[in-house]
Order: sequence, then C-alpha cells, then structure tokens
Amino acid sequence: MRRVGRGAWLGRERVQSVLLVAPAVATLVLVALFPIVAAIWLSLQRKILLFGEQSFVGWDNYLLLLSDTRFHAALGRTFYFALVSVALELLLGLPLALLLHRAFPGRGLLRALVLIPWAIPTVVSARMWAWLFHPELGLVNRLLPWLSVNWLGTPGWALHAAIVVDVWKSTPFVAILLLAGLQAIPEDVDRAARVDGAGAWTRLWRITLPLLRPAMVLAVLFRMLDALRVFDAVWVLTGGGPAHTTETMSIYAYKTLLRAGNFGYGTTLAIANFACVMLVAVVYLRLLGPGREVE
Amino acid sequence: MTGLRAGPGRICLAAVLLVWGCLACRDPEPAETSADRRTIVLSMQPLWGPPEPFAALLADFEARHPGIRVEVRTLPNDSDLARQAFLTALGGGDPRPDVYVLDVVWVAEFARAGFLRSLEGTPLWASLEPELLPGPAAAARWDGRPWAAPWYVDVGLLYRRTDLVPHAPSTFLELERDARRAMAQDPGLAGLVWQGRQYEGLTVNALESIWGHGGGGGSEGRLALNTPEAVAGVRWLRHTIASGLSPPGTTSGAEEEARRRFQAGRAVFMRNWPYAWAELQREGSPVRGRVGVSALPTLDGHPGPGALGGWMLGLNAHADPAHLDAALALLGHLSGEEAAVTLAVHYARLPARRAIYRSPEVLREAPFIASLLPQVERARPRPVTPYYGLLADTVQGSLSRAVTGVAPAQEALTEAQRLSDAMMGTGP
Amino acid sequence: MRRLGLLLLGAALLTFLLGPVVWQARTSLQPEASLGADGALPFTLEAWRALFEREDFLWSLFNSIAVAAVTTLYCLTVGASAAFALARLRFPGRGLLLATALAITTFPPIAIVSPLYLSLRGLGLLDTRMGLVLPYATFALPLTLWLLTSFFRQIPLALYQAARVDGCTPFQAFRRVILPLAGPGLTTTGLLVFVFAWNEFLFALSFLTTPAKRTVPVAISLFAAEHAEPWAEIAAASILATLPLVVLTLVFQRRIVSGLTAGAMKG
Repeated sequence: MRRVGRGAWLGRERVQSVLLVAPAVATLVLVALFPIVAAIWLSLQRKILLFGEQSFVGWDNYLLLLSDTRFHAALGRTFYFALVSVALELLLGLPLALLLHRAFPGRGLLRALVLIPWAIPTVVSARMWAWLFHPELGLVNRLLPWLSVNWLGTPGWALHAAIVVDVWKSTPFVAILLLAGLQAIPEDVDRAARVDGAGAWTRLWRITLPLLRPAMVLAVLFRMLDALRVFDAVWVLTGGGPAHTTETMSIYAYKTLLRAGNFGYGTTLAIANFACVMLVAVVYLRLLGPGREVE
Repeated sequence: MTGLRAGPGRICLAAVLLVWGCLACRDPEPAETSADRRTIVLSMQPLWGPPEPFAALLADFEARHPGIRVEVRTLPNDSDLARQAFLTALGGGDPRPDVYVLDVVWVAEFARAGFLRSLEGTPLWASLEPELLPGPAAAARWDGRPWAAPWYVDVGLLYRRTDLVPHAPSTFLELERDARRAMAQDPGLAGLVWQGRQYEGLTVNALESIWGHGGGGGSEGRLALNTPEAVAGVRWLRHTIASGLSPPGTTSGAEEEARRRFQAGRAVFMRNWPYAWAELQREGSPVRGRVGVSALPTLDGHPGPGALGGWMLGLNAHADPAHLDAALALLGHLSGEEAAVTLAVHYARLPARRAIYRSPEVLREAPFIASLLPQVERARPRPVTPYYGLLADTVQGSLSRAVTGVAPAQEALTEAQRLSDAMMGTGP
Repeated sequence: MRRLGLLLLGAALLTFLLGPVVWQARTSLQPEASLGADGALPFTLEAWRALFEREDFLWSLFNSIAVAAVTTLYCLTVGASAAFALARLRFPGRGLLLATALAITTFPPIAIVSPLYLSLRGLGLLDTRMGLVLPYATFALPLTLWLLTSFFRQIPLALYQAARVDGCTPFQAFRRVILPLAGPGLTTTGLLVFVFAWNEFLFALSFLTTPAKRTVPVAISLFAAEHAEPWAEIAAASILATLPLVVLTLVFQRRIVSGLTAGAMKG
C-alpha cells in the first residue's frame, strides 16, 4: 500500500477543495455582486421616478421605516403568514413523505403527481384558487355550505385563504425534501428496532424523526425564507387587499417600487424584507446549534 | 451497487441534454439595422382576435415606407406587468422600443419622468387633434403639451338584462328599485355586479359613482376626495354590498368575475367595459340577445359619465434619433383612420377619433361600437396628474376600507385626502 | 386499524393536493362561454384545440425546457463539486460561503431586476435565453449548495476515508464513491432547481422580449386580453405546462430509491 505523507494529503485536499468550490463562487460573485451592491446603493437614495431626481440621503430611508406604520403592519402580517404556513406545511408534509416512503404499487406515479401543486406556475394556480374561493360559485363554499365565508373579500379571512394556497403549493416541496431525507436513513436501524419490539409510533418518534432532523431543518429553513418573501400567490389572489389586510412586506415593496415609482424607498423596503429574512435564518440556525447539517 | 451501473447512462443523458440545451440557447445575434433597412421596435400588447388584420396593417405600413421594418414585442395585457417591464427598460435608458403603448393614466407620469418625446408641433398631432374625442385628447396632454397619440379607448358602461329590466334606469334609486324587483322574483340573482377588489378598477368604479353624485375630482391636478359628493358616492358603493344589492364576492372581484356572473344569467345589472359585450353575445352564452347597454346612473337622472380607459402610443425619448422619422410615421399610421377602423371591426377596440364611429364600415360591421359614441363623448378621464401612480395605491387602499366596511366612507376618504396631500406635498 | 388511519390520512392529503388539479383539468374541458354557470356543463375540447393553435405557447414549452435543463445541469455540476468540498474537505470559510450564498438567494429579485437588466444589456445577453440562465443559476446555486452539502454529509465518512486510503485523490473519491451514492440528493435537488427555473416569472418577463423566446409563465400571462381571460385555455395551458415536470419526475424517480447506502455499509 502506498504511504501518502500527511502534509501532501492535506495540501492536495486544500488545492482540490479550492478548485472544486471556485466555479460556484465565481458564478455567485460575478452575477450577483453588482446588482446587490447597486440595490443597496439605491436604497440610500431618494429616487422617485416621477420627479426625475436622484439624491443621496444616507440612512434617511431606513429611518423612515421605523415610523412607517404601514411597514410595521406588513411586517407583522408577513411573520404571521410565514409561521402558520410553514407549521402547516411541515405537519402535512411529514405524513405525506412517510406515505410516499412506503412501497406500494403506483408509488412512482404518485410521487410525480404529488409534485404538481409545486410545479404549476403560481400565477395560474393562485388564479385557480381565487375561483375556488369564490363566495357563491367556488368549490370551497359549495363543499362547506355551513361555513359560507367571503374568503377573499373579508378583511379577516383573506390572509388565511392565502395561507391555504401557500400550504397547498408548498407541501409537496417539504414532502419531497423529507422523502429524500427518509431515503438516506439506513434500513437496518429501523429493522433492528422492530426486531427489538418497538411500536410504530415509538420508532417514528425515537428513530426516524431524529435521523430526519437534517432534512427537516433544511425544509423548514427554505420554506421560512420563501414564506417571508411571498409575493405571487397573494398578489394574484387579492392584490394586497381587501383594505391592505393581505399586504405582505414584498407586496408593499412592489407597490412602492413599481406602482408609485419610488425606487429609493421601494428598494429600502425590499432590503428591509431581506434583512428580516436573514435575521430569521441566523436565529434559526443558531437555535438549532452548530448542527451536523452544515457549519 | 446500482449507482455505478447507472452511472454511464446518466452521464450520457446529461451530456445529451447539455448539448441540446446549449444549442437551444445559442441565439443568433439580432439582425442589426443594415444600411438600407431600419428596424423600428413597437412594444404592445396582444390584441385579442385574428392576427391577420393587424399584420396586414403593419405590412401596409412597411409597403408605404420601404426601408422600414417593424418588429413587434408583446407584453402581457396586465397593466401592472406591462408597467413593470417598461419601468425596467425605460428606466435603464433603453433605446428600444421606439414606439410603445401606455395606459391612459401613465401619460403625465411618463412625460414628467422623461420617458416620452413630446408630439408638440408635429404634423401628426396637428392632423390628429381635431379628430379626437375630448376625453382622450385631455388625457394625452400634460403641462399644455401633447405627449402621446390615443390609440383606443375604453369607457365604463351599465349593462342590464333586458328581459328583466326593459328600460334603462337613469338614477341610482331607479336602478336599485329595478334590481330588487327582479331579485324578488328570483332569489339567486345579484342586483348589481361591479369591481370592488382593491385595485385600479375600484378607483374607476368609485370615481364613476362620485361623478354620478355630482362630485368633481376629474381632470384637475388635485384629487378632491373629501367632498360631500365623494362621500355620497363611496357610501353608495358600500350600500350596495351592505344591503345585499351586490353579492359579497364583489369586494374581491374584478372585471372577469362580474362578467362571468352576469353572463351566467345570475345578475341583473353589471358595470363593466365594452369588451364584455362581445363575450356576452357569443355563441353559447346564456344571456345572448338579452343584454342592453346604457349610461351609468346619476342622482338627478342625466346620463352619467363613464371612466375613460384605454391605451395610447408614445415615442421613447431615449430612442435612436435616426429612427425618429420612421417612428413618427408608424405612430401616424397606427393612430390613423384605417388603423382605427381595423381595430374597431376586427378587435372591438373603441376608436379615439370621432369620425370613425360614423364610418360606414364600422356602422355595418361593428354596430355596437358605433352605438357607443354618446358614451365615449361623455367619458371622463381620471385625474391627469404625474402623481397618479404615486397616489393610486393609497387611494385604492382607502376605498377598499370604505367598501368592505372596515371604516365609514367619510373617515376613509378623509384619510385618503390626507395621505395624497402629504404625498403630493413632498414634491421638489 | 392503524393502517386504515394512515390510509385515510393519505387519501385526505392527496385529495387536498390533487383535487384542485383535477378541477383545473375539468375546467379546461368546458366551453369558455358558459364557464361560471351553474350545473353540469358539456365536455368539449375547444380550449385544447385553441391552445394547440398558439404557436408561441408551444415554442415557450421548448424554451422553458431548454433554459431549465441547462440551469439544472449547471447547478448540479458546479454545485455538487462545491458541496463535496464543503462537506468533506477542509475548506476555509465554509460557513461564510454558505451564509453568503443564502443571502444571495434571499435577496429580493424585485430590487435587483433593474441593475441585472443593465448588466445583461452591457454583456449583450439581453433577450437571449443564455442570458436568462445566468441569473437563474445564480439564484438556484445556494439551494443546491445547501441541499447537496447536507446530503453529502450524510454519506458515511468511513466510505470516503476508505477510498482515500486506497490511494484516490479527493476528486477521484468523490467521483467514484460519493457521487453514485448521492442519487436521492442529486435527483431531489435537480428537480427543485428545474421547477424553480421553470416557474420563474419576473426575470423571464424583464429579460426576454422576443415572443418566440419566451418561457411558459410569461407565455401564459400573454393569453389574457385587456380584460377578458380565456380561462379554459389557461387551465389547459397550465396542465400542459406541468406535464414535462411530471414526466421528468417519473423518469428520474427511480433515482430517489434508497437501499444504496445500506448496501454500501454491508459491502
């Protein structure tokens, strides 16, 4: 057996690791760096399309955020939306993944079909749900006649209708990530536990879920990041209404940026949204401890 | 290990896809303007209907102007999406497109932002202006100068079921009375369907109601939202929902929701744009032949003004100056008589030129459009101000609050006035 | 008993997820003019017929497949190599790279669409499908990195070390030992990246202007007239638009099969 010197081993590792990572880093830096820096620069300006003016105002836009009640309302709403959506997606995605993990005829086809809600373009599926939520003609109210709610037109209910749409769309995403995680769990562990007489629930709780932790952490992380930035589904469903009650941070930013043409403050709002998302990600990853998932 | 066995197969598949992908992605360079053919880029939205008549229109233009080629770029019809695409391109100083469509409410704003080249002093405008109807002409002007050529217009109309209501109501009271009479006989009917979702359509509906109650806030610069007439107008809208005259779904409905409900025969009255007529009279429509159109109601019974909608054609201020003549020629061609007739007959677009409504061809082939001349003459533009985009969102929010009953009309409008004053007051 | 409970739960979930899709399919088979009316409507193929007459839409399917495929392959290739280094090799700044990648992917697209437009225009990549792949790959790469790093870490260290002891360079160990076992991870990540590229709307709308080059979501948004929407046709288009994804999943779903890790441990 060849004996490789330890120094050479490490040195080659380092060189190879840099080479392996270089294309990814290059892509990210070359494409994303300028636009992001440009956006941050824009958020420090007062640029309103209509006035044709552009002036540097430093932190003024960000200070404006602190007193912007509309922003605060949007912030609270977005967090509520994200928390409820992601919780439901996890609650529904896990059983779905477990179901798809079992072997049964037609499993392959079912796995492909289950992906459809995630695969349909959001602008189309949200419009479809808008019809499903129609107070008189929609399927939802026809199936639940005792409820008969004006889903999208009542200030309280509209946000929850949006949550339903997001859950419908994203549960397959969570399920498919969890499924991949389930596939990585070696069968022997489960088999051994079964031989030892452990019941199904115990097996699930004590063995499967802990081993599934990496996949769950990732699924929740990416869903949280997406849910906090939700735009398409809500926009198509209600456009931020009625009476601003479904206006999430991204919708507020969009309206300010493109409807009002207030590029400076609009970018600030978008970046504030981003800051919230990053904050959540950092807190989330810290709370879970330096995991074995990643760093 | 199954993985290894499948490895080569997977690699092959990947390679095939990669090659195909790269082949597919390698686009030929767009044909640059050669020495003897100039390409004018026209950005517009797809006109719903057979593509041939419009293609023939463009071909006709190219035949009359040898050496010029028109390249059409389509944008979604959704006003917000088109606006987004334009702000990205024009905001970046893109010289393309040379000619583009713009919503009637964008004209002042885009002019102020420097996206449009004024048409003042051009022979095009000199020949076009006398032909235009007052609404579009007013919407095309800002700061005393013309900035765009009206292409086609839209106007708010009152549709009714002629079998349930033979004579068109002229006041709000009459409308409610007629509707309730029909609803009493058929409980599944909605009295009046309109657009109450929080978007621009709500502003349009609200303005029409405000104008019907005698309010102004029309073509002057400042939005007058806090007047008693405005409050009365918005209160009427809230009343239709609160009293059950309009179905609860109205607060989340746009044009299509209203149209489909009316088309299914489940509404007595509908406020909508002229496009609905063609759909309602289509083969297979449950209400075919039983629909009438009239002006919107008012307090005292005189025919109410509908809101002016529609699109205009403008010149990109950043466009290549060498293209200016060609672009102006295209603008002239598309806003000319022939084009207006084509649009009216084949695409059901209301002309902005008065004479077209009486042209024999339109009278023969598109009688409905010809019959709308009185409505279009009365059509009122929304406030023509560069601040419209800035204000629209705020106004929509306040109106939505009033219409859904979250706040009383007076309070919502006071707030809207305060916010819009604050916004317009922070100008340079 | 428990099995019945599971079955019911499964059935409920599937009804919730697939019910609206079936509804969508049903809508696509109904006459446009009477959609919205009560009662059962006759089935008709008019929406599908009209859909297949839309040449631009059919081209958009091809465009979307091309763009999404290239994006996915790029991300998987570049991402897998990088993820391997991040998972198994001593790489300085691993946490920083992953954190930055996350930041990039969560940066609001609406805020950077204008500067990106300017960059692409400067590079001459505006209105080219290749020019669309670049931002797509950039935004999908972080997801790829995070997912694949996690999946690679779950492959037992012992295997990698055994290969290295046998004399392989890190890259050889990667190619011969790790990669074949990463089937589930690669397939899942690939599918998710593909769907992302397939459904992305904002960049596709802003960066591609020639009708023949447009992707599916934008093509569908062009169906609507100024006010009217051909709802049955849009429903048909959305069903058609998901077919490639379903087919792709079916083709690759055997790669999501487990048992490879178990086998490796025994061997």
